[in-house]
Amino acid sequence: MSASKYKSYTDPELVSMCLKGDGDAWEALIKRYRRLIYSIPVRFGFENADAADVFQAVCLKLLEHLHQVKDDRRISAWIVTTTTRQCLHLRGLKTRETTSEEELQEPEDPAINLEELRLVTEQQQTIRDAVEELGERCRVLIGLLYFDSTTPSYDRISEQIHIPVASIGPTRARCLDKLRTMLRRRGFR
Amino acid sequence: MRHITSEGLIDYVDGKVSEREKLAVEDHLMACKDCSELKQELQSLVSRLREDASFEPPTELVQWGVNLFQPVRRPEPGGLPKFIASLVFDTFDQPMFAGMRRVGTPPRQLLFRAGAVDIDVKIEAMEANDRITLVGQVLSGTTKFFDNTPVKLESHGMVRYRTQTNVVGEFSFDEVPKDTYHLSVDLPEGQITLFCVHRANS
Repeated sequence: MSASKYKSYTDPELVSMCLKGDGDAWEALIKRYRRLIYSIPVRFGFENADAADVFQAVCLKLLEHLHQVKDDRRISAWIVTTTTRQCLHLRGLKTRETTSEEELQEPEDPAINLEELRLVTEQQQTIRDAVEELGERCRVLIGLLYFDSTTPSYDRISEQIHIPVASIGPTRARCLDKLRTMLRRRGFR
Repeated sequence: MRHITSEGLIDYVDGKVSEREKLAVEDHLMACKDCSELKQELQSLVSRLREDASFEPPTELVQWGVNLFQPVRRPEPGGLPKFIASLVFDTFDQPMFAGMRRVGTPPRQLLFRAGAVDIDVKIEAMEANDRITLVGQVLSGTTKFFDNTPVKLESHGMVRYRTQTNVVGEFSFDEVPKDTYHLSVDLPEGQITLFCVHRANS
Protein backbone atom coordinates (compact mmCIF):
# COMPACT_ATOMS: atom_id res chain seq x y z
CA MET A 1 0.00 0.00 0.00
CA SER A 2 1.42 3.42 -0.88
CA ALA A 3 2.02 6.02 1.82
CA SER A 4 -0.65 8.30 0.28
CA LYS A 5 -3.33 5.83 1.36
CA TYR A 6 -2.28 6.40 4.97
CA LYS A 7 -3.42 10.02 4.92
CA SER A 8 -6.73 9.23 6.57
CA TYR A 9 -5.14 7.53 9.56
CA THR A 10 -4.84 9.42 12.83
CA ASP A 11 -1.45 9.94 14.43
CA PRO A 12 -1.95 7.23 17.11
CA GLU A 13 -3.02 4.78 14.39
CA LEU A 14 0.08 5.55 12.33
CA VAL A 15 2.35 5.23 15.37
CA SER A 16 0.82 1.84 16.27
CA MET A 17 1.41 0.67 12.71
CA CYS A 18 5.02 1.92 12.86
CA LEU A 19 5.58 -0.01 16.07
CA LYS A 20 4.43 -3.14 14.26
CA GLY A 21 7.12 -2.52 11.65
CA ASP A 22 5.03 -0.77 8.98
CA GLY A 23 7.45 1.45 7.08
CA ASP A 24 4.71 3.06 4.96
CA ALA A 25 3.06 4.36 8.15
CA TRP A 26 6.40 5.89 9.14
CA GLU A 27 6.71 7.50 5.72
CA ALA A 28 3.21 8.97 6.08
CA LEU A 29 4.08 10.33 9.53
CA ILE A 30 7.29 11.99 8.30
CA LYS A 31 5.53 13.46 5.27
CA ARG A 32 2.65 14.73 7.40
CA TYR A 33 4.98 16.63 9.71
CA ARG A 34 7.89 17.50 7.41
CA ARG A 35 6.98 21.16 7.05
CA LEU A 36 6.15 21.57 10.72
CA ILE A 37 9.59 20.24 11.71
CA TYR A 38 11.47 22.22 9.09
CA SER A 39 9.57 25.46 9.73
CA ILE A 40 10.95 25.82 13.26
CA PRO A 41 14.70 26.01 12.48
CA VAL A 42 13.83 28.23 9.50
CA ARG A 43 11.94 30.60 11.82
CA PHE A 44 14.94 30.52 14.15
CA GLY A 45 16.97 31.87 11.26
CA PHE A 46 19.21 28.80 10.82
CA GLU A 47 20.87 28.22 7.48
CA ASN A 48 19.82 25.25 5.35
CA ALA A 49 22.55 22.91 6.64
CA ASP A 50 21.63 23.59 10.27
CA ALA A 51 17.91 23.36 9.55
CA ALA A 52 18.62 19.97 7.93
CA ASP A 53 20.58 18.92 10.99
CA VAL A 54 17.65 19.79 13.25
CA PHE A 55 15.26 17.98 10.90
CA GLN A 56 17.38 14.81 11.05
CA ALA A 57 17.71 14.96 14.81
CA VAL A 58 13.95 15.34 15.27
CA CYS A 59 13.19 12.45 12.88
CA LEU A 60 15.52 10.27 14.92
CA LYS A 61 14.02 11.38 18.19
CA LEU A 62 10.54 10.68 16.88
CA LEU A 63 11.59 7.17 15.90
CA GLU A 64 13.33 6.64 19.22
CA HIS A 65 10.31 7.89 21.18
CA LEU A 66 7.55 6.15 19.23
CA HIS A 67 6.64 4.08 22.28
CA GLN A 68 6.14 7.21 24.35
CA VAL A 69 4.07 9.12 21.79
CA LYS A 70 1.87 6.20 20.73
CA ASP A 71 -1.11 7.33 22.82
CA ASP A 72 -0.56 11.00 22.16
CA ARG A 73 -3.30 12.53 20.05
CA ARG A 74 -1.22 15.63 19.52
CA ILE A 75 2.10 14.55 18.10
CA SER A 76 2.33 18.03 16.60
CA ALA A 77 2.74 19.53 20.10
CA TRP A 78 5.47 16.97 20.90
CA ILE A 79 7.20 17.85 17.62
CA VAL A 80 7.03 21.59 18.27
CA THR A 81 8.52 21.19 21.76
CA THR A 82 11.21 18.74 20.66
CA THR A 83 12.21 20.76 17.59
CA THR A 84 12.33 24.01 19.54
CA ARG A 85 14.57 22.36 22.16
CA GLN A 86 16.79 21.03 19.43
CA CYS A 87 17.08 24.51 17.92
CA LEU A 88 17.92 26.05 21.28
CA HIS A 89 20.46 23.31 21.90
CA LEU A 90 22.07 23.70 18.50
CA ARG A 91 22.25 27.43 18.94
CA GLY A 92 23.88 26.89 22.33
CA LEU A 93 26.43 24.51 20.78
CA LYS A 94 27.16 26.88 17.92
CA THR A 95 27.67 29.94 20.07
CA ARG A 96 29.52 27.88 22.71
CA GLU A 97 28.30 30.33 25.24
CA THR A 98 27.74 29.69 28.90
CA THR A 99 24.12 28.85 29.27
CA SER A 100 21.79 27.87 32.01
CA GLU A 101 18.36 26.44 31.22
CA GLU A 102 16.79 29.86 31.88
CA GLU A 103 19.17 31.66 29.59
CA LEU A 104 18.17 29.36 26.73
CA GLN A 105 14.55 30.34 26.85
CA GLU A 106 14.55 32.87 24.03
CA PRO A 107 15.65 32.45 20.43
CA GLU A 108 18.48 34.66 19.26
CA ASP A 109 16.20 36.79 17.15
CA PRO A 110 14.33 38.95 19.67
CA ALA A 111 11.47 39.16 17.20
CA ILE A 112 10.74 35.48 17.91
CA ASN A 113 8.98 34.75 21.13
CA LEU A 114 8.81 31.05 22.01
CA GLU A 115 5.13 31.11 22.92
CA GLU A 116 4.35 32.98 19.73
CA LEU A 117 6.47 30.50 17.77
CA ARG A 118 4.51 27.60 19.26
CA LEU A 119 1.19 29.26 18.43
CA VAL A 120 2.18 30.17 14.88
CA THR A 121 3.62 26.73 14.07
CA GLU A 122 0.61 24.94 15.55
CA GLN A 123 -1.81 27.17 13.63
CA GLN A 124 0.15 26.48 10.47
CA GLN A 125 -0.11 22.75 11.15
CA THR A 126 -3.89 23.09 11.66
CA ILE A 127 -4.10 24.59 8.17
CA ARG A 128 -1.95 21.77 6.71
CA ASP A 129 -4.10 19.14 8.41
CA ALA A 130 -7.24 20.78 7.02
CA VAL A 131 -5.73 20.90 3.51
CA GLU A 132 -4.92 17.19 3.79
CA GLU A 133 -8.54 16.48 4.64
CA LEU A 134 -9.90 18.25 1.55
CA GLY A 135 -10.94 16.14 -1.42
CA GLU A 136 -8.16 15.16 -3.79
CA ARG A 137 -8.98 17.76 -6.45
CA CYS A 138 -8.94 20.64 -3.93
CA ARG A 139 -5.81 19.33 -2.24
CA VAL A 140 -3.92 19.10 -5.52
CA LEU A 141 -5.21 22.47 -6.76
CA ILE A 142 -4.21 24.27 -3.55
CA GLY A 143 -0.85 22.52 -3.67
CA LEU A 144 -0.26 23.72 -7.24
CA LEU A 145 -1.49 27.25 -6.61
CA TYR A 146 0.14 27.97 -3.28
CA PHE A 147 2.83 25.39 -2.41
CA ASP A 148 4.49 24.79 -5.76
CA SER A 149 7.62 26.92 -6.00
CA THR A 150 7.56 26.68 -9.82
CA THR A 151 4.23 28.64 -9.87
CA PRO A 152 2.67 26.56 -12.64
CA SER A 153 0.52 28.33 -15.23
CA TYR A 154 -3.26 27.83 -15.36
CA ASP A 155 -2.70 25.82 -18.58
CA ARG A 156 -0.43 23.39 -16.75
CA ILE A 157 -2.79 23.19 -13.79
CA SER A 158 -5.65 22.52 -16.18
CA GLU A 159 -3.74 19.61 -17.75
CA GLN A 160 -2.74 18.21 -14.42
CA ILE A 161 -6.13 18.16 -12.72
CA HIS A 162 -8.22 17.77 -15.87
CA ILE A 163 -10.45 20.82 -15.54
CA PRO A 164 -10.85 23.66 -18.06
CA VAL A 165 -8.76 26.79 -17.43
CA ALA A 166 -11.97 28.79 -16.96
CA SER A 167 -13.01 26.50 -14.09
CA ILE A 168 -9.82 26.98 -12.11
CA GLY A 169 -10.93 30.29 -10.54
CA PRO A 170 -14.35 29.07 -9.37
CA THR A 171 -12.88 25.72 -8.19
CA ARG A 172 -10.16 27.54 -6.25
CA ALA A 173 -12.84 29.72 -4.59
CA ARG A 174 -14.90 26.67 -3.63
CA CYS A 175 -11.83 24.88 -2.26
CA LEU A 176 -10.73 27.88 -0.20
CA ASP A 177 -14.29 28.29 1.09
CA LYS A 178 -14.31 24.64 2.18
CA LEU A 179 -10.96 25.12 3.83
CA ARG A 180 -12.16 28.25 5.59
CA THR A 181 -15.26 26.46 6.87
CA MET A 182 -13.19 23.53 8.15
CA LEU A 183 -10.83 25.88 9.93
CA ARG A 184 -13.71 27.82 11.49
CA ARG A 185 -15.14 24.57 12.85
CA ARG A 186 -11.80 24.03 14.53
CA GLY A 187 -12.03 27.45 16.13
CA PHE A 188 -9.45 28.92 13.80
CA ARG A 189 -9.84 32.59 12.84
CA MET B 1 -26.16 45.82 -1.48
CA ARG B 2 -24.83 43.00 -3.60
CA HIS B 3 -21.83 41.29 -2.00
CA ILE B 4 -18.65 40.36 -3.85
CA THR B 5 -18.26 36.63 -4.40
CA SER B 6 -15.45 34.68 -2.72
CA GLU B 7 -14.00 34.14 -6.19
CA GLY B 8 -13.94 37.90 -6.84
CA LEU B 9 -12.30 38.54 -3.48
CA ILE B 10 -9.66 35.85 -4.04
CA ASP B 11 -8.89 37.30 -7.47
CA TYR B 12 -8.50 40.67 -5.78
CA VAL B 13 -6.26 39.22 -3.04
CA ASP B 14 -4.16 37.38 -5.66
CA GLY B 15 -3.85 40.58 -7.74
CA LYS B 16 -5.65 38.98 -10.69
CA VAL B 17 -8.03 41.89 -11.36
CA SER B 18 -7.80 44.90 -13.65
CA GLU B 19 -7.23 48.39 -12.27
CA ARG B 20 -10.90 49.23 -12.82
CA GLU B 21 -12.08 46.06 -11.02
CA LYS B 22 -9.62 46.72 -8.23
CA LEU B 23 -11.06 50.19 -7.60
CA ALA B 24 -14.61 48.82 -7.68
CA VAL B 25 -13.71 46.12 -5.10
CA GLU B 26 -12.00 48.68 -2.87
CA ASP B 27 -15.01 51.00 -3.02
CA HIS B 28 -17.28 48.13 -2.05
CA LEU B 29 -14.99 46.99 0.78
CA MET B 30 -15.07 50.51 2.27
CA ALA B 31 -18.84 50.31 2.50
CA CYS B 32 -19.39 46.60 3.29
CA LYS B 33 -18.23 45.20 6.62
CA ASP B 34 -19.14 41.58 5.70
CA CYS B 35 -17.10 41.60 2.50
CA SER B 36 -14.26 43.42 4.23
CA GLU B 37 -14.10 40.72 6.94
CA LEU B 38 -14.29 37.93 4.39
CA LYS B 39 -11.49 39.56 2.39
CA GLN B 40 -9.32 39.75 5.54
CA GLU B 41 -9.97 36.10 6.28
CA LEU B 42 -9.16 34.99 2.74
CA GLN B 43 -6.09 37.19 2.58
CA SER B 44 -4.76 35.75 5.82
CA LEU B 45 -5.48 32.17 4.68
CA VAL B 46 -3.82 32.67 1.29
CA SER B 47 -0.75 34.32 2.80
CA ARG B 48 -0.37 31.48 5.32
CA LEU B 49 -0.66 28.93 2.51
CA ARG B 50 1.98 30.79 0.50
CA GLU B 51 4.27 31.15 3.50
CA ASP B 52 4.09 27.42 4.07
CA ALA B 53 5.82 26.76 0.75
CA SER B 54 8.99 28.30 2.19
CA PHE B 55 9.05 25.60 4.87
CA GLU B 56 9.22 22.70 2.44
CA PRO B 57 12.34 20.70 3.31
CA PRO B 58 14.50 19.38 0.44
CA THR B 59 13.15 16.11 -0.97
CA GLU B 60 16.37 14.22 -0.18
CA LEU B 61 16.13 15.31 3.45
CA VAL B 62 12.58 13.98 3.73
CA GLN B 63 13.75 10.75 2.08
CA TRP B 64 16.54 10.52 4.65
CA GLY B 65 13.89 10.68 7.38
CA VAL B 66 11.79 8.05 5.62
CA ASN B 67 14.80 5.74 5.15
CA LEU B 68 15.54 5.72 8.87
CA PHE B 69 12.94 3.03 9.18
CA GLN B 70 14.54 0.64 6.71
CA PRO B 71 16.06 -1.97 9.03
CA VAL B 72 12.71 -2.41 10.74
CA ARG B 73 10.86 -2.24 7.46
CA ARG B 74 12.50 -5.31 5.97
CA PRO B 75 12.38 -8.08 8.55
CA GLU B 76 14.16 -11.20 7.36
CA PRO B 77 11.71 -14.00 6.54
CA GLY B 78 11.63 -16.41 9.46
CA GLY B 79 14.02 -14.14 11.36
CA LEU B 80 13.79 -12.87 14.87
CA PRO B 81 11.03 -10.46 15.87
CA LYS B 82 12.33 -6.89 15.89
CA PHE B 83 11.86 -4.29 18.56
CA ILE B 84 12.71 -0.62 18.52
CA ALA B 85 14.32 0.38 21.78
CA SER B 86 13.17 3.59 23.46
CA LEU B 87 15.75 6.23 24.21
CA VAL B 88 15.53 6.97 27.94
CA PHE B 89 18.57 9.17 28.43
CA ASP B 90 20.78 11.22 26.15
CA THR B 91 23.49 13.59 27.32
CA PHE B 92 22.84 15.58 24.15
CA ASP B 93 19.52 16.63 25.70
CA GLN B 94 21.08 17.78 28.95
CA PRO B 95 21.87 21.47 29.34
CA MET B 96 25.44 22.41 30.14
CA PHE B 97 26.11 23.56 33.66
CA ALA B 98 25.94 27.31 34.19
CA GLY B 99 29.32 28.86 33.71
CA MET B 100 30.71 25.90 31.76
CA ARG B 101 32.38 26.46 28.43
CA ARG B 102 32.71 23.56 26.06
CA VAL B 103 36.21 22.62 24.96
CA GLY B 104 36.20 20.03 22.18
CA THR B 105 33.34 17.59 21.70
CA PRO B 106 32.42 15.59 24.78
CA PRO B 107 31.35 11.93 24.40
CA ARG B 108 27.64 11.41 23.90
CA GLN B 109 26.02 8.90 26.23
CA LEU B 110 22.70 7.28 25.51
CA LEU B 111 20.61 4.74 27.34
CA PHE B 112 18.06 2.69 25.42
CA ARG B 113 15.47 0.35 26.88
CA ALA B 114 13.51 -2.49 25.32
CA GLY B 115 11.48 -4.47 27.85
CA ALA B 116 13.85 -5.65 30.59
CA VAL B 117 16.95 -4.98 28.51
CA ASP B 118 18.97 -1.78 28.80
CA ILE B 119 21.63 -0.84 26.29
CA ASP B 120 24.15 1.74 27.28
CA VAL B 121 25.96 3.46 24.41
CA LYS B 122 28.79 5.97 24.41
CA ILE B 123 29.82 7.74 21.20
CA GLU B 124 33.12 9.55 21.13
CA ALA B 125 34.29 11.66 18.22
CA MET B 126 37.87 11.54 16.99
CA GLU B 127 38.31 15.14 15.84
CA ALA B 128 41.60 14.32 14.11
CA ASN B 129 40.33 11.76 11.61
CA ASP B 130 36.58 12.40 11.45
CA ARG B 131 35.77 9.03 12.95
CA ILE B 132 33.85 7.87 15.98
CA THR B 133 34.28 5.16 18.55
CA LEU B 134 31.09 3.58 19.78
CA VAL B 135 31.19 1.46 22.93
CA GLY B 136 28.29 -0.04 24.83
CA GLN B 137 26.95 -2.63 27.19
CA VAL B 138 23.86 -4.79 27.02
CA LEU B 139 22.34 -5.19 30.46
CA SER B 140 19.39 -7.13 31.76
CA GLY B 141 17.02 -6.26 34.60
CA THR B 142 18.17 -9.53 36.17
CA THR B 143 21.75 -10.36 37.09
CA LYS B 144 22.26 -12.11 33.75
CA PHE B 145 24.90 -10.83 31.31
CA PHE B 146 24.43 -11.10 27.57
CA ASP B 147 27.76 -12.54 26.49
CA ASN B 148 28.65 -13.60 22.94
CA THR B 149 25.65 -11.68 21.64
CA PRO B 150 25.92 -10.48 18.02
CA VAL B 151 25.89 -6.69 17.65
CA LYS B 152 25.68 -4.98 14.24
CA LEU B 153 26.09 -1.45 12.97
CA GLU B 154 24.03 -0.66 9.91
CA SER B 155 23.90 2.44 7.76
CA HIS B 156 22.10 3.18 4.50
CA GLY B 157 20.31 -0.16 4.77
CA MET B 158 23.49 -2.28 4.92
CA VAL B 159 25.35 -4.01 7.73
CA ARG B 160 28.69 -2.17 7.97
CA TYR B 161 30.30 -3.65 11.07
CA ARG B 162 29.74 -6.67 13.29
CA THR B 163 31.02 -7.61 16.70
CA GLN B 164 30.01 -9.65 19.75
CA THR B 165 29.57 -8.79 23.39
CA ASN B 166 32.18 -9.96 25.90
CA VAL B 167 31.44 -11.85 29.12
CA VAL B 168 29.96 -8.79 30.79
CA GLY B 169 27.88 -7.75 27.79
CA GLU B 170 30.23 -5.03 26.54
CA PHE B 171 30.90 -4.31 22.88
CA SER B 172 32.95 -1.80 20.95
CA PHE B 173 33.25 -0.40 17.43
CA ASP B 174 36.50 1.49 17.14
CA GLU B 175 37.08 4.42 14.83
CA VAL B 176 34.25 3.90 12.39
CA PRO B 177 33.44 6.74 9.93
CA LYS B 178 30.98 9.35 11.16
CA ASP B 179 27.49 8.45 10.00
CA THR B 180 24.02 7.74 11.28
CA TYR B 181 23.92 4.15 12.41
CA HIS B 182 21.28 1.67 13.37
CA LEU B 183 22.69 -0.55 16.07
CA SER B 184 21.09 -3.98 16.38
CA VAL B 185 21.53 -6.48 19.16
CA ASP B 186 20.43 -10.07 18.47
CA LEU B 187 19.02 -11.52 21.66
CA PRO B 188 17.24 -14.86 21.97
CA GLU B 189 13.96 -12.93 22.48
CA GLY B 190 14.35 -10.93 19.31
CA GLN B 191 16.43 -8.29 17.62
CA ILE B 192 16.61 -4.91 19.30
CA THR B 193 17.29 -1.95 17.06
CA LEU B 194 18.54 1.39 18.31
CA PHE B 195 19.27 4.53 16.38
CA CYS B 196 22.53 6.23 17.06
CA VAL B 197 23.40 9.40 15.32
CA HIS B 198 26.58 11.27 15.16
CA ARG B 199 26.06 14.72 13.77
CA ALA B 200 28.83 17.15 13.10
CA ASN B 201 27.70 19.32 15.97
CA SER B 202 27.12 16.62 18.57
